[in-house]
Amino acid sequence: MFRRTALAATALLAAGALALSACTASSPGPSESAGEPDPAASVAIRLVLEPGNLDIRETAGAALDQILIDNVYQGLVSRTADQEIVPALASDYEVSPDGLTYSFTVREGVTFHDGQELTPDDVVWSLTQVRDNEAYRDSARLAKVADIAADGQTVTLTLSEPDSTLLWSLTGRAGLILKQDDEIDRQTATNGTGPFVLSDWKQGDSITFERNEQYWGAPAGVAEVVFSYVGENQAALSGALAGDFDVLTGFDANLKEQVEANGDFALVLGDSTDKGTLAFNTTEGPLADVKVRQAIRQAIDKQSIVDALGAGKTQYGPIPSLDPGFEDLADVAPFDPEAARALLAEADAEDLDLTLTIPSAYGTTVSQILVSNLRDVGITLTVNPVEFPAWLNDVYINQDYELSFVLHTEARDFENWANPAYYFTYDNPEVQDLYAQAVASTDEAEAAALLTEAARLVSEDHAADWLYNGASVLAVSTAVTGMPSTNVNERLNLAELAKSEG
Amino acid sequence: MIRYALTRLALLLLGLFVASALIFTTLRVLPGDVAQLIAGVNSSAAQVAAIRERLGLDQPLPVQYGTWILGVLRGDLGTSQLTGTPVIEEIVEKAQVTIPLGLLSLTVALLIAVPFGVIAAVRRHRVDGSIVSFGAQALAAVPVVWAGMMLVVVFAVWLGWLPAQGFPRAGWDDPAAALRALILPALTIGVVEGAVLLRFVRSATLQAMGQDFVRTGAAKGLTKTQSLMRHGLPSVGLSVITVIGLQVAGIIVGAVVIEQLFSLPGIGRMLVADTGNRDLVKVQSELLVLTGFVLIVGFLVDLLHRVIDPRQREGDA
Repeated sequence: MFRRTALAATALLAAGALALSACTASSPGPSESAGEPDPAASVAIRLVLEPGNLDIRETAGAALDQILIDNVYQGLVSRTADQEIVPALASDYEVSPDGLTYSFTVREGVTFHDGQELTPDDVVWSLTQVRDNEAYRDSARLAKVADIAADGQTVTLTLSEPDSTLLWSLTGRAGLILKQDDEIDRQTATNGTGPFVLSDWKQGDSITFERNEQYWGAPAGVAEVVFSYVGENQAALSGALAGDFDVLTGFDANLKEQVEANGDFALVLGDSTDKGTLAFNTTEGPLADVKVRQAIRQAIDKQSIVDALGAGKTQYGPIPSLDPGFEDLADVAPFDPEAARALLAEADAEDLDLTLTIPSAYGTTVSQILVSNLRDVGITLTVNPVEFPAWLNDVYINQDYELSFVLHTEARDFENWANPAYYFTYDNPEVQDLYAQAVASTDEAEAAALLTEAARLVSEDHAADWLYNGASVLAVSTAVTGMPSTNVNERLNLAELAKSEG
Repeated sequence: MIRYALTRLALLLLGLFVASALIFTTLRVLPGDVAQLIAGVNSSAAQVAAIRERLGLDQPLPVQYGTWILGVLRGDLGTSQLTGTPVIEEIVEKAQVTIPLGLLSLTVALLIAVPFGVIAAVRRHRVDGSIVSFGAQALAAVPVVWAGMMLVVVFAVWLGWLPAQGFPRAGWDDPAAALRALILPALTIGVVEGAVLLRFVRSATLQAMGQDFVRTGAAKGLTKTQSLMRHGLPSVGLSVITVIGLQVAGIIVGAVVIEQLFSLPGIGRMLVADTGNRDLVKVQSELLVLTGFVLIVGFLVDLLHRVIDPRQREGDA
């Protein structure tokens, strides 16, 4: 009666074989010019945001997930570039039809980086710690797990009610397996099971990984990966052209010509779940009026924003195309300044003055377009660029804002629209109910359909505006293969990374 | 002389104490704190409160200040609220980039300012002197960032002689690579600071040329230039030392900008990152050390003045 998910693993193997044959096929591409991979290679990758510390349990921020999950720390399950869930530290798993029992077969012969063996007890301990320790990130995602127990190599999670998001949560922070009672200082050291070992962190500069020679799976294709944290795209570009970097992430698609000029690099664009979210504080003032919110949405020319960024695509609802439940909602609020002006007149809200709070790290491209688009319909927008901690304090915590812009990178984060306490200030019981149903559903397709329905409501309420769905923008050396390009702000699985000599 | 030194030292300590209070309070005005940053955008108020408590951020500000300053008095600059690393270790590590960078920048600045400043003064009525003066005006107006980018384009990207950014991970264990990494940044700061300094040298030289002792030298049969070199330059040197004392702060500010631009793991970049992370114990200790450094340089410049310039010692007992 158990739904076997070994099928998924088989499918993955097939997909992997396909990917392999695609590499060897004769289609010309940047990877084609790469020669024989060099197992002793060191790959230098430019990243933008350095984590404040390495504590994957307690410290928030995608900068940690990005490098540590999959590469250093692993869970029972993992996610692929196509956002599929696949076994990792579990060799296999089963979900009971009622969605209340999850059984994982823990892989044998896995060791932690310090040499200790992975045991089912470590799994039970790790998951229990996350569930019971409110200070741990994503602790709430295991709230429905009533019991975690090991029997031989099998770890069973028993739920109090079905949770269609559980497996996905287990591919993230909530599911990471650490050594029981490990005494490392997690703020500056790591001890995981992944294909890479943290070898050095030069704070304010770089993090270095070395290949884990004792890795349980196929060993990493490169001996060393150096992540250099470089905020300025111009410095990153100069560094790449001078040969300091093999890969640039978080790059600017408008610099395509410059970085490709000497033929050593190719610009690579990948899908992402980055949502350029223009949040509205709907609790009071003109933005409490749905007509005003709709007017703002229709006044903004999304295509011009995407064009200015040089990458990404438009998005008209809370769910991006990579996530389940996506639907193109362009019809809900198409660009139409004329309609926007009419709506504002209807709402008796002409000559509006509004303030946008935006973390200064995002630059001025987006806010300039907003100012000009809104001016066209009679709204004076004042831009208030702030440091990220100030945004956290004023907007996120105190909800003291009118309009806010932040790039929300997290995949499958619809829950925030079902949480009236979130800074989105969106409170629609119908949406909350649909979301609860989606979570409780034991059928993937049904859960996705419920999310689609809820997402349409959110967009029709004009609870926020989505300025663009960002792309992962990379510049990759022609000597490098296997560099992931999907959603790299969230996850950078480097197991397949390889580099050829010279 | 000794009494003067002791008085100045007392003033220096008082200055540091006042600075510590100012640094502490102004940093507390910044919105947001490290606990919010650790907790991030999917956190509850309870989570933030728990982190605040763990880090001691729930204590009243005077208590936090007292803890910090008592630690400093014992020689303990505290630990990072994010990583638990002792602040002193971080400063020592980053200083290995910033101090050589500052010294190199200063050297570049002096190599430009002194010879060209003297030329600009002595030959001020000629074409070459005017060109130097005009060039200095123009250079001093150049934004440091732009100067750096141009140098990178020419020497790193086009010619490929020098690294465009970064510092070798081996640090000074690989001295050649480390030095190469600092050349463009030091040139960037040095050229711009040198242009500023050049104008001081020029006016100090002009002033010296009008002094009695220079004219006396000329009257004794030396050429104007010989007299200036022999009798005038020591007085120019005094002015330059004063200006260098002031320029130290300028070079530190330059380092903050340049370390970002060249991705150098120095004190300036650390300071910006720590402020962005609201790692305030670290920031306030870093700022205190920098303030102390500037004040000590000022103190030494004052003492040096006394030693070099006999006129200033006249009032001493």
